[in-house]
Amino acid sequence: MSESKWIPTVCYQCKAECAILARVEDGVVREVKGNPRARGKMCVKGMAGITTLYSQERLKHPMKRVGERGEGKFVRIGWDEAMNIMETKLRELRKRGEGHKFTYSMFPHSTSDPKWRFVNAMGGFITTGLPHCDSAKIMAHLHTFGCFPNHHIAPMYYTVPKGGVMILSGRHPFGCLDDACVPRDILDAKERGAKLVVIDPIFRTEAGKADWWIPIRPGGDAALFLGMCNHLLTKGLHDKAFCDKWVRPGDMDGLMAFIKDKTPAAMSRICDVPARDIVKLAEMCAAAPSVCVDAFKSIMYGNAMDWGHAWSIFLVITGNLDNPGGQPMPEIAPMAPVPPVPPPPNLKELGYHRTGPNRSRFDHYTFFLQPTWYAAQAVREGSLKVFFASECNPALSEMGSGEWREAMTLKDRNGNYALELFVLTEIMPSETMKWADLVLPDQTNFERWELLYMPWWYNFGHTAAVCQPVVKPVGESRHANRVMIDLGKRMFPEYFAFKDDVEYYDIELSGIGMSMRKMLDGGAIWSPGTVGFRKYEDAGRFNTPSGRIELEWKMYGDIGQQWPSPELPLEFRRNADKYPFILVNFRTIFLNNTGAWSQNNAQLRDPVSGIDANPVLLNPVDAARLGIADGDMVTVASATGSVRLPAALTERIKPGCAGLIHGFGQTMGKVASRGAWAGDNELIADAGSHLDEQDLRGGEAHVSTRVKITK
Amino acid sequence: MKQLSIMVDLDRCIGCKTCIVACRNHHGLVNHETAMPEGMSHYLRVESELTGTFPKLAEDNWVVMCQQCRKPPCVKACAAGAISKDAQTGIVRIDREKCTGAGTCIEKCPYGVIQFNAEGRFAHKCELCYDRVVHGQEPVCVEVCLADALRFGEREILLMQAEATGKKLLKKRSTQSILYVKRAD
Ligand code: SF4
Ligand code: SF4
Ligand code: SF4
Repeated sequence: MSESKWIPTVCYQCKAECAILARVEDGVVREVKGNPRARGKMCVKGMAGITTLYSQERLKHPMKRVGERGEGKFVRIGWDEAMNIMETKLRELRKRGEGHKFTYSMFPHSTSDPKWRFVNAMGGFITTGLPHCDSAKIMAHLHTFGCFPNHHIAPMYYTVPKGGVMILSGRHPFGCLDDACVPRDILDAKERGAKLVVIDPIFRTEAGKADWWIPIRPGGDAALFLGMCNHLLTKGLHDKAFCDKWVRPGDMDGLMAFIKDKTPAAMSRICDVPARDIVKLAEMCAAAPSVCVDAFKSIMYGNAMDWGHAWSIFLVITGNLDNPGGQPMPEIAPMAPVPPVPPPPNLKELGYHRTGPNRSRFDHYTFFLQPTWYAAQAVREGSLKVFFASECNPALSEMGSGEWREAMTLKDRNGNYALELFVLTEIMPSETMKWADLVLPDQTNFERWELLYMPWWYNFGHTAAVCQPVVKPVGESRHANRVMIDLGKRMFPEYFAFKDDVEYYDIELSGIGMSMRKMLDGGAIWSPGTVGFRKYEDAGRFNTPSGRIELEWKMYGDIGQQWPSPELPLEFRRNADKYPFILVNFRTIFLNNTGAWSQNNAQLRDPVSGIDANPVLLNPVDAARLGIADGDMVTVASATGSVRLPAALTERIKPGCAGLIHGFGQTMGKVASRGAWAGDNELIADAGSHLDEQDLRGGEAHVSTRVKITK
Repeated sequence: MKQLSIMVDLDRCIGCKTCIVACRNHHGLVNHETAMPEGMSHYLRVESELTGTFPKLAEDNWVVMCQQCRKPPCVKACAAGAISKDAQTGIVRIDREKCTGAGTCIEKCPYGVIQFNAEGRFAHKCELCYDRVVHGQEPVCVEVCLADALRFGEREILLMQAEATGKKLLKKRSTQSILYVKRAD
């Protein structure tokens, strides 16, 4: 008889990190599924994770670049040599007093991720995909009511009551980058009698299930919500008791004065949603026991901060903070620190690696992470000398891919690369690999240890899970965490005195009265399941400087941004004659965005079980005008780049928009390189050098791009 | 008649294909080491239909697996007598030992769901997870469906459940034993 058992662990085919079970038979993973003790679901990417694990294309040993960056030529080396290369360069950097010129681009799996600890010990920066995606949302919520959500912190759909309203504004939660249970929970809420409203220029699966689809003009979300706020406030439909009690004195008067001219009719002209619909949605929300809003793509445009601000104001005046069905205010599990904790670098003193045209004004947006897409500028200005990357694919994810590639190969007068060392840990061939000096074979979630307790888990706060190895690692692969702990032991033994990753997690878990042993005995999760609503009532305050909700962002008074502008992003308002289409990039469930390994997963690129096409979507009305037929090859060009793609004509997309899936474009690996697919970041401008308003309205994310389409 | 069935709720299916990959994993249909897109066997597929013109649109998604036909054309088509409809469950099963790999069943299946294993030269398809359901477990796709769009049970009972929850049977699609339902409105 062969031995077969289901082992609890965690998925990492995307950043949602769902708790799962893996069935291992004779040392081989055969099946996976959601862990019923957690939220019980696993999506198609996760299911296909076994294909990633066992793919012939797994990187199996460390490699060193030979030839020039970009050529993608490597020789096999041993781990010792790889470790020595990293240690030598990093020591040299520190000796030069330039530890802060080291940046590690990664997705931290917790706020105390061992890789992050190494970065702090080194005095370097961490950057994540996060600022690309939703830093404006984080900043807006932090500024207004002092909570820290990010795109994984979807509203808790399982708490939405009958009659509650769920608004998805440029958000595709059926694409599963929150928890895989989100689609089920949204549909369950609907069956309980909640209403689903989808605001989106593209009709996608969410719109197909919605009670109401509102095809907005891209970037019009701030205007739409300000129009609703105007209606609610001028008609006295807002939650007066809540505002009286919790909003900072004077802010409501300021808001009333500001909102006066943001009438539904005026806002309708900006967002292209009829004024009567703005009123209807406002009244629907006012009458509902709860409203939650989620946005993602819309919060990446050049007016992201305005949209985040308008959204925050809307939540406040409708009283939808930390209530069932409203905006959650998550907490993080109180893990124990592992002393001595290396202090993070002083961002105020060192500044970000930013070189935008109006850099000084950008300093208003204080954020604890380094935005990635300034990598190209940072290399150019000499503030990025050593770059490490794990579990990300900057060659595809950096806006302005062309600029990024140039920066990677930029040389100084002596013919040395300006970026002195580029180390990449990777599971499978990736686009980024071509530019790396060292490529280290990483492990999948099936082969490694990880302690996860990020607040973005759907259950919020007070939740932890252990990812445990369920099979032996492939080849000489080593988990990036272990590599960085080993490097830490060599360079900063005081901060890495613990035995290994498992002991590190064990100490941390004592903070919640747990240990690794207890966790594993208990199904690898710890989740009391309580959220605690209206926590500000117990605390008697919000986590803002004044302790009250701060509607007016006084710190931005000098740049005229104390109240949100309803205007579309600047990039959408100009050059409409030359570039008549607004690029709308969107996600699908079959891609972990630009993540290298989902691009090289045969099941996810199979037409039956995944997606194998990335045409540019056009409304037939537009196509007819341009003489474009379904399937024609077209050139999609922006001011900074162009790609050739087939056109697909569909009623799904609002006229004037061109739709493109985010995350294609990899040319490395047998699966990814099969088709003539192109990445949207070829078209999107490099934010550091091209976008004028970025620092004022965009916060830290801007993908607003206009394109023209020719045959 | 004894007939096990799956009921597909079009109000819930989001076309995410999770069921397809889970089914493949469970039944070992993919060689993960060498897999390439196209050409992997699959026991079910997603279909969808978009209707209307911008901005008045509607869309349905659903899955198509072996429909466990009442009078299966594949049974008739197989000269080797390898296909039969199980009396206890109503599941149409292919006996791999008897299958000669002639492939006539594949041509005759009106739903295009029978797969061919070129290496072993045999036909295979969804048998409603026979080895699970006879031991009281749900089929894999039903268990893992991301949106809880699938329900498993005896056909008659599923019909009663549909009725009780205000779902109407989509007759056009529910031609055999697998049921397709949607909210009546
Ligand atoms: S959403 Fe899917 S891919 Fe992402 S962690 Fe969850 S199951 Fe894995
Ligand atoms: S019933 Fe079983 S074999 Fe048939 S499609 Fe579902 S999972 Fe696959
Ligand atoms: S898993 Fe469920 S929702 Fe997804 S395609 Fe299959 S049946 Fe539809």
